[in-house]
Formats: sequence, C-alpha cells, structure tokens
Amino acid sequence: MRKKRCIAMLLAGGQGSRLGLLTKIMAKPAVPFGGKYRIIDFPLSNCTNSRIDTVGVLTQYQPLELNRYIGSGQSWDLDLNNGGVFVLPPYMKAKNSEWYKGTANAIYQNFGFIEQYDPEYVLVLSGDHIYKMDYTKMLNAHEAAGADVTIAVRPVPWESASSFGIMNVNAENRIVEFEEKPAKPKSNLASMGVYVFSWPVMRKYLKEDDADPKSKNDFGKNIIPKMLSDGRMLLAYSFEDYWKDVGTIESLWEANMDLLKPTPDFNLNDSRWPIYTKSPIKPPHYIGDSAITEMSMIAEGCEVYGTVKGSILFAGVQVASDAVVEDSVIMPGVSIASGAVIRRAIVAENCKIGPGCTVGEAEGKIALVGQDTVLPAGYSVKAGEQVDGEIIAEREAARV
Amino acid sequence: MKDTMGIIYTTKDDHTLRELTSQRAVAALPVAGRYRIVDFVLSSLVNSGVRNVGVITQKNYHSLMDHLGAGKEWDLHTRNNGLFILPPFLTRDNGGEYTGVLDALRSNFDYLRRSRQELVILTGGYTILNTSFEAMIQAHEDSGADITLMYAKANPKRMDFFSEKNVHAFLQLDANDQVTDMEINPNAASYDNLYLDVMVIKRTLLIHLVDMAYAHGLKDINKDLLQAYVKNGGLKINGFFFQGYYRRIETIKGYFHFNMDLLNQDVRHELFSAYPVYTKTRDDVPALYRGNALVKNSLVADGCVIDGTVENCVLFRGVRIGRGAVVRNSVLMQDSVIEDYVELDNVILDKAVTIRTHGRLIGQKQYPIVIGKNVTL
Repeated sequence: MRKKRCIAMLLAGGQGSRLGLLTKIMAKPAVPFGGKYRIIDFPLSNCTNSRIDTVGVLTQYQPLELNRYIGSGQSWDLDLNNGGVFVLPPYMKAKNSEWYKGTANAIYQNFGFIEQYDPEYVLVLSGDHIYKMDYTKMLNAHEAAGADVTIAVRPVPWESASSFGIMNVNAENRIVEFEEKPAKPKSNLASMGVYVFSWPVMRKYLKEDDADPKSKNDFGKNIIPKMLSDGRMLLAYSFEDYWKDVGTIESLWEANMDLLKPTPDFNLNDSRWPIYTKSPIKPPHYIGDSAITEMSMIAEGCEVYGTVKGSILFAGVQVASDAVVEDSVIMPGVSIASGAVIRRAIVAENCKIGPGCTVGEAEGKIALVGQDTVLPAGYSVKAGEQVDGEIIAEREAARV
Repeated sequence: MKDTMGIIYTTKDDHTLRELTSQRAVAALPVAGRYRIVDFVLSSLVNSGVRNVGVITQKNYHSLMDHLGAGKEWDLHTRNNGLFILPPFLTRDNGGEYTGVLDALRSNFDYLRRSRQELVILTGGYTILNTSFEAMIQAHEDSGADITLMYAKANPKRMDFFSEKNVHAFLQLDANDQVTDMEINPNAASYDNLYLDVMVIKRTLLIHLVDMAYAHGLKDINKDLLQAYVKNGGLKINGFFFQGYYRRIETIKGYFHFNMDLLNQDVRHELFSAYPVYTKTRDDVPALYRGNALVKNSLVADGCVIDGTVENCVLFRGVRIGRGAVVRNSVLMQDSVIEDYVELDNVILDKAVTIRTHGRLIGQKQYPIVIGKNVTL
C-alpha cells in the first residue's frame, strides 16, 4: 500500500436519535438533503475536492441504506486502485469483539486500516453537517504550526454558546482550555467535530485511551482533555463559512430552507466546489398546466400539477392538482393526492399522502411523516407530530 | 433470451437538421431535456440483457465519444464485452470514412468475429424508442427466419418529418409475417409498414453476408442486401411489428415535435416508466423556481433557474430564465441563458446560447427559429 499524507475517517455510526422517525431505518448520514443529495455527500465531496482520496466510513447503526449508497465510491470519484472509499463496520476479532463504544474507540478498532497507509495525518470527520470546506487548507495550517491536533472551530452566537463544546484560545490560536457546554462561556468558538491529528500522536493516545477502563472512548470527552492536560499543542482552525448541524428535525428543515433564499447563504451550484451525489435515473420533471411553482427546488422525475411554494421536492415526487405543498421538504418517491395540504413538514421517502390529508400547520413545529408511510384519506398530522405506518395503525386500532 | 450483441450505426452529420447537426452526429443530438438520441436505443439494448454493444461512428464522432465514454452509465464498463466505439480508420482498402453500414461492418470484421454472442441486433442511431428486444428475439427464434426486421405502422401525418437523405423502406408482409416486398424511398409507398432500422440476425450469417457483399462490390445494406434477398427469396426475412411509441429524428420539424410530444403524459410514461433510460449525468443542483416563476406544461431538467414565464417548453440542464422573460413553445438546450424581459416563441436554442436583455425571437410553429451552439444574441 502506498504511503498517504493524510487519510480521512468519517464517523457515520451514530443513530441520530434526535431525528426521530427519520432515522428509524437508516443512519443519519444517509438522510436525504437538498433535493438530490444525502448528508454524507457533503463530507465525501469535501474530501474529493480537497484531494483527500482515502476515506474510511465507520458504520454501525442501520448501515444497509448507507452501504448501498456508497457502493464503489464512483459517485465521488473514490473508486480508485490506490485509495478510495471503504465502509468499515465493527468486526469479530480473535480475543474480543465489540460494537464501536465511542468515537475514539471506532477509530481505534480500525487501527489496522489506518496503518496500511502509514499516513502522517488523520482527518476525523462526522456525517451530520452541511458545509463546504477545504480540508487541505486546515491540514496545511496544522503542518505549518507543528500542532499535535487541530480542531476546526466556528463562532456561534454568544447566547447559544453554552450549548456547545467551547474552545478558549490564545493569541496564536492555541487552545488553552476546552469546556463542554459551559454555563459562563469565555469564548464563542465551538468545535465543528472536524479534527486533524498527527498520526503518531493519535496512535499513542488511542492506545492509552483503550487501556483506560474508565474512559468513554470519546474524542471530545476523553482524548482532547487528556491531550490538553498533557500540554500537547492543540490548534484551533477557524472556519467562518456556512456550516449547519442537521441533527434535529428543525435544523434539518431549516438547512433545506436556507437553499431557497434568493441569495442563499449556502451555494450548492458552485463549479469550483461541486457536491457530488448518486444521480437518480429519471427524466426531467414535468410542470402541468394547473401547477404553481414558486421559491422552490424541484428535482428530476417529479410530476407537479398542484401548488408548490417555498418547498423542496426530491426526485420522483408526484403532486396532484389541488394539492398544496408549502414550506416543506418532500423526499424521493412521495406521492401527494389531490386536496392534500402539507405545510412546514418533512415527508420521508416513498410515502403516499392520501386525498384531503393535512400534514403540519402554517405555524409551529415541523411535522414529520416517516419513510414508506401510507396516510389514509383525510388523515391529519398536527404541527410537531411524527407519524409512520405503525403509529397510524395503533391509532386506528384504538379508535375502533 | 439468446446471447445477443448490439451494433448501432450512426450516420454522418449531413446537415439534415441544419445547425443542430453541423457539429455532431444525429445520434449525439440532445433531446428530452437531458438525453442524447442514442441513449434510447442503447438503453433498450442494455435493458434487453445485451452486454456487448458496438457503436459505429462516422468522422465527426467527438461529441458521441464524449457522451458515451467508457459506457459506465449503461453498465457497459465491464471486463468482458462492454462498449466498443468503432470509428472509421485508415487501412489499405479503407479511406478513413465508411461508405455505408456494410463497409463499416467489413472494416470491423475482427470485432464481429471475436464477439461470442449468437445473435446480433443491428440498429440505426436516429430512432427514438424504449422497449425490450426480448419479444423480437423470441419471434425471430420461433419463426426460424434468417433475418427479422422491426417495423411500425407509418403515420401519414408525419411523412413530412422525413428527410429525403435518409432511407425509408416499406414492407409487404404475408400472413406469416414473412416480408414479400420491400420498397425503398418510394414517392408514394404501396405499404404502410415502415422499417425501423432494427434487425435481428445470426452473427455468423451477418459475417457471411458482409463478406459476400464486399466480394461482389455491393455497398448498400438495404438495396443490395435486404431488398435483393427479399426479391430472390434466398433468405427468409420476417417482420416484427412494434406497436409502441417511436420517432425518427430526421428534420428540425421532427425534432421539435418529438420534444413537444414529451409534454404529453402518455408519451412520457411510455418512454420513461417501463424501462429506465440511462444517460451521462452531470452534477447539477435540482431546478430552482424563484418568486416570479410562472411555469406551465413544461419539462424542466436539473440545474435550471427560473424567474420568468415558461409555457410549453423543454428546458435542458442548466438553463437560466431571467425575471420578466416569457418563453413559449421552445426547446432550450443545456446552459442557455435567457436574460430579463426576453421574449421567445417557437425557438430551438442549441447549447450555451445567450439571449441578452429585451431580446425577442418569434418563430413559426411550422418552422421554428434555430440558433446554433455558443451564440450570443
């Protein structure tokens, strides 16, 4: 195996339980985003565009959809002879076999994978953020400063700083203190969950961490504080462009809506930094005579006869005439029957919304319809509610 | 299904489609918002289980090569078989240009010989249809015919979409589907069975026929081979009736009408639902509709940004429609930019055409205005 300067390890094993029914049968990184993408397209495209060509994807929770999606890595030009994308689930070992216990443990269990490439640096990424970032710039900053670890940070509003992992830095951007959700934050620089480690240092700390039975085997909770207390050089790398954590229903909805602004904060249509994805095999979409389409994003294969405003329709969505979709995210393959009204909602893949259904409300929290749900005619889902086939069946049974 | 290979022959750019084919083969002409004409027949072959496809190209094959690449999108980038592009090449007896299908097949004798499939589907490159050829192959096997020709009922209304430069053959069939007469380019055809340039033949027989034709100095596959054998009865030639949707793209008018046909739900359904049509993908963002967008009865591909009025149009990938612009009854190929307050009606724009603010182009339904590639007006 040829030596690599840097390889990336993408943590994609989290359940994403804050996304509720959306991640019931798929891992968070596989969740659709922005009309044709999935969340994992962003870190993978960033890697390709940053010329990092070796990526290990650590999976654990509901990996089927994710495995199928990543395939050979061809969509991101990561189907290479020397390098490429590798799906790394936990596996049986001679002595002990276990699930990934924490973020650091997941990397530690793939020690052998990393060693093959004898890298100088290891880039640790997470699969739940929407952003465009040149990792090579961060890598160069890390190298120039001779740091042991570099942590990407971004300023967050002061009032919300107490809900993040906050880095206190000195004039040379060295991290002097790390506080997890401080009551009185001294800085507003929050960790983005993007790390560059010098591999020899990382190797040492992972080994020590694994030997410590009290450790939670987590980068934020254990590895970083330990390195700080050992006087290692921790560099903060400031990133000020668009970055959104899409870990909750509300934030996922918001990040989608951000794409519809007249001058979007986040430009997907950037030829210098394309976001690659697996394209669906569908004809262009059709807009019918009775349709109204405004301030919306519509993907290929859709057939729209109704009203679509301020919404995102993924590939192959059918909107019947007299159906209304407003301020909503409609994932691939959904059909919406005549008379249905969907407002401020996320409708997951392949749902069938029956005639006259209402999903969500003009005000209030985001409603969610889980994957493959069939909403019977006239069914109503209130603001903030989450339903899927099981929940509907239970409710119907209770009514009888 | 019997193991079958496919050969698609594309024609020279002969300017039958004016500016649109001055730089590319008809097979490489963009259609339906994101496809090239060849995608339909190539996808049909692949969806029928064909794993070895040769594409005979003429001199101007750059855009076709660029489009087909290694055949990845059609799953033809395999270790064995796969996609073979067969451009003309200079040899002792070949001047660097194919004089016809027979000449092209003769030049690629090695490819035909080395292929291992029992049957060949030989097809032209400017017919749009999406089907599985399995039924045709079955009929070919069941009938014991030497050659089976696919035909459809000619629509008298569409005769004016024919180009006189292309071959139009009409077949007479008996009760057992055997071809009993073949008329080539008649002024008034005696039969309404139009040969669709798709034939099934045993590979070894094709090799033999091509060799014999070459040995006797015969050039024209239709006149010298098919028509001759129908006449002398030396081979059993059968017909196979295709009843689905098909269009042959031969003229600007035919091209325009085909694109407009796609605004009909039944046509879209027939072309895209039963079998997928594969094509080279681009990394475009889904289409964006802005606040002033007013779109009716149109087909819109990814990458479009629309802030004006669009009616009865086919917009290819990456088309921009400015605020206050009104575009009707038009076909806009990829990356065309329609600036604010432009008015277009009955227009075909080739790739990357820019119409500056307040521009106005009004064509006729019978004769749409065509603007060539990369032009700024």
